[in-house]
Amino acid sequence: MTYIPSADDLEVITREVWTSFLDGDPDGLLPGATAAGAEEVTGCVHLSGAYTGSIMLRCSGPAARYAAAALFSMQPADVTQNEVVDALGELANMVGGNVKSMLPGPSALSLPSVVHGQLAVPGAQVVREVALSWRGESLVVSLWQQAAQAA
Amino acid sequence: MVIDDSSAMRLILGRIMRGLGFDVVEAPNGAEAIARLQSGAMPEIALVDWNMPVMDGLAFVNAVRKEEKWRQITLMMVTTESEQSQIVRALAAGAHEYVIKPFTPDAIADKLALLGVLAY
Repeated sequence: MTYIPSADDLEVITREVWTSFLDGDPDGLLPGATAAGAEEVTGCVHLSGAYTGSIMLRCSGPAARYAAAALFSMQPADVTQNEVVDALGELANMVGGNVKSMLPGPSALSLPSVVHGQLAVPGAQVVREVALSWRGESLVVSLWQQAAQAA
Repeated sequence: MVIDDSSAMRLILGRIMRGLGFDVVEAPNGAEAIARLQSGAMPEIALVDWNMPVMDGLAFVNAVRKEEKWRQITLMMVTTESEQSQIVRALAAGAHEYVIKPFTPDAIADKLALLGVLAY
């Protein structure tokens, strides 16, 4: 039987990335959903191979700016859209790469993509999801699987 | 030399390396890193991401290891690719060390010390 990382696994991995690069505080991320507001940003990496699917980080616009500001050592008000895209892409890449290590292999990891708004993968479904709060802003991490594999 | 397609990651790794006393040059992919080497850059060590556009990290390692004149460059993968088979591929291609993201500055320093390019 194929092991699919749990929602707790997604949280632990995300917390490790956040602690290493954004906060230095393991308690900076809090469990539980927070309203995202109108503006959202999604970072995504795709997996293909023994496991085909995606890992997504979807967060509020302010959370995306806070993350970019932390990675680039800037003030959130000074962050550009390019820096938001770079930061969310790299965060999705780090979370996705570590989730991938828990999935059946071998699988190839795509380059990250970042969109403003929500993202859905045609033919895929969410198999795990964890809702977190960071600095009072929403962050949702989800693992998707292609329907043919999930069946 | 720091080779990573994320400018945030280049900034973070560059800051760590400068803090350890290195001069740092950056490249956003393997092809640009090769171009820098061809134009005379000779880094003591290259920190190499795996997944990059144009030329990925494994292709960069293979390209460097084919050239006798670049044999002295120490190559350390710094990547999210954490499958055992990927690590073995990189080391077999000629990478000397492997660091999985996320990392701490101490983890980078420890690996550099193990490689003998950093004296504690």
